[in-house]
Amino acid sequence: MTPVMAWFRRPHATCVMVGILAAMLAGAGTARADTPPPLPGFIHDGALTVCTNPTLPPMTFVNGTDVKAVDGIDMDIARTLAAYWHVKLTVTTMDFTGLFPSLAAGRCGLVASGIIRLPQRERNFDAVAYQDTALVIVARAGTHPLGGMAELSGRKVAVQAGTSYSARMARENEALAAAGHAPMIITAYPTEEQVVQQVLLGRAFALASQDVELAYRREQLHGRVRVIFTPPYPEYRHFALYIRKDAHDRALLEQAVATLRDNGQMAAIAQKWAITPDTTQALGATAPAFHWGTFFGALTSAAFMRGAFITLAVAVLSHLTAIAISLPMALVLNGRDCVLKTGLTAYVALFRGAPTLLQLLFIWNALPQFLPFFREAWFTPFLATWLSLSINESAYQVEINRAALLAVDPAQAVAGHALGLSRGQVYRHVIFPQALRIALPPTINAFISLLKTTSLASVISVQELLAVTQIQVARTFEFTEYYAAALVYYLAMVFFFLLVQKRVERRFSWADQYRAGTHAS
Amino acid sequence: MHPEPGAVLSIRNLSKLYKDFTALDRISLDVRRGEKVVVLGPSGSGKSTLIRCLNRIEPHDSGSLHINGQTITARTDLIRLRALVGLVFQNYNLFPHLNVLDNCALAPRLVRKMPRAQAEALAMRFLQQVNIAGQARKYPIQLSGGQQQRVAIARALCMQPEIMLFDEPTAALDPEAVSGVATIMNDLAAQGITILCVTHEMRFARHIADRIVFMDQGRIMEITPPGQFFTNPQTRRAQDFLNQMIA
Repeated sequence: MTPVMAWFRRPHATCVMVGILAAMLAGAGTARADTPPPLPGFIHDGALTVCTNPTLPPMTFVNGTDVKAVDGIDMDIARTLAAYWHVKLTVTTMDFTGLFPSLAAGRCGLVASGIIRLPQRERNFDAVAYQDTALVIVARAGTHPLGGMAELSGRKVAVQAGTSYSARMARENEALAAAGHAPMIITAYPTEEQVVQQVLLGRAFALASQDVELAYRREQLHGRVRVIFTPPYPEYRHFALYIRKDAHDRALLEQAVATLRDNGQMAAIAQKWAITPDTTQALGATAPAFHWGTFFGALTSAAFMRGAFITLAVAVLSHLTAIAISLPMALVLNGRDCVLKTGLTAYVALFRGAPTLLQLLFIWNALPQFLPFFREAWFTPFLATWLSLSINESAYQVEINRAALLAVDPAQAVAGHALGLSRGQVYRHVIFPQALRIALPPTINAFISLLKTTSLASVISVQELLAVTQIQVARTFEFTEYYAAALVYYLAMVFFFLLVQKRVERRFSWADQYRAGTHAS
Repeated sequence: MHPEPGAVLSIRNLSKLYKDFTALDRISLDVRRGEKVVVLGPSGSGKSTLIRCLNRIEPHDSGSLHINGQTITARTDLIRLRALVGLVFQNYNLFPHLNVLDNCALAPRLVRKMPRAQAEALAMRFLQQVNIAGQARKYPIQLSGGQQQRVAIARALCMQPEIMLFDEPTAALDPEAVSGVATIMNDLAAQGITILCVTHEMRFARHIADRIVFMDQGRIMEITPPGQFFTNPQTRRAQDFLNQMIA
């Protein structure tokens, strides 16, 4: 809430003060007196829900080590809009490719993530422009400026995946082909800092990005890049806020943005983030070095510990659930033919066959379109990850269980029955303990694999270890230090579980003649 | 036909089919309390199937089975039946994940709901009887075949059965261990436990049997005392079998 709004809410405000404020605000045209402006339909339960991919400074990014604190122009605008409507703001972070599906699924009311206003996007969503910009072609410092896009013929150009740049570059390629030139080689990377890194490493000749972002990146890049060309694209002139198609909501949002522009709040935000593009200027480049301080700082940061904890929690919960589901499944699959067995065979084939990432995206983005139940707030990205990894892992675990149960000599069950044990007792006391020993090594192996698969959850905005790492890299451009810190965490977790495995295996000494001997004596 | 009075086990016209194959063909047999009956016959003659039918590890298809005067059917409480009829296997089938003592104490604890201490005391008693109490804390894999078979006998005895079934108990044992098992069987019979034993071992059969039951192709060919069976078998089939075994 802005200070102005706070004034309005003071119950003891005198008539004089209200009069002064009303006079002050009359020119600015904000909401008058205590009545807030009409609320658009995308605001629910007194909250404006905004989705963003915080890897695009200065529009939207994590400006510090707390990965939950999203900052930037977009966030300032979101905060100002929430204050304008007198509602609270909820920010959800996710992968760029997840933004529009989430908007379509109703998981957010508004997408503010440094996204260009484009006619293609406006076919499915409504867009309201809020910030001017320009598409720029950027290369390493020392590269000669271009006379036109044709000079990029045959060169490698990096762009961020899911953005409209790759489509725009493809159109440029058509023009090049029509003119008899070789096309540009377009390579797409999931995050903006990786795009920049390809140019810094010399892997790509140039990148396509926004001048606003480059202005902000100047400090991090130490003048290692420069703008070599600004293509005259009329459509790449505005950042826009996106909402689901609704003419009424769009009019209200346009009115809100116009109000903020008129009362100077937009200008204040732009000034705060110092968007004064002067990217053509190249400063002296600094030599890359490994910053031990950054590395140890990351290692001991609350953000990394929290990320590692989430990684661990997702993996442990998913695997425990998978084991619980897969045990009865294995018993059915090892049993006689029946409808249930056919169904489970199909289940195993489906979930082993489909890529884990696809399953995760399906459950998070596609499922809510059929089952509105999954659109509700309780269905968090964490739960979606837990659900999809449990299902996925159970399809693998059931095979481990099946093999382990089959490996126990059937005569063991006969011996148990001959002693008068019930079916349940035979499973509990005779078969399971022996199957457990056989299943344990492959199960720990599967768990270690799962522990690393959890990194996929970053795509649907779970702040696990790799997501935290990437957010920190986007903020600082210190790839090596943060990657190394993440590596240390992953290795520490894996080694811990290998140790647990050794420990547990020692309890199964009955299967090993030599060790059983030492155990008994 | 009614069960013979005084018989602990009465089998009448018992048949067992595996699809088209007749494994047991109208078997009838009465066994007295404390008797040692050895079942002989070539491979595939149905000997093992017969004794597995006696504690319903394999259910029979027709005929009747009476144990202690009770008729055994699909509705019989299997847990009580199996407490009455113990079974010892050719390959011992000890539980590899439990030590000798736990192997023996498991069924009394689970089936008879005995407290652990009482079950272990019981187990130790029978382990002493088969002369293996010194190995109580070892795991099966650490024992020789003969030792394992003695543990298997003790484990079955822990349910305090009235009838003990042995399915080729000596097939995997060396001669010394075989005579150890024979001694144990004689001890058990002396205590009033009825014994039915399937074997290939002629000397062993002669040593322990009160009666020999000779089977072929799912049928009982003859029932005779061992002295007569080995010197003067009544059927041609039994003669051929003995000639083959001696040759």
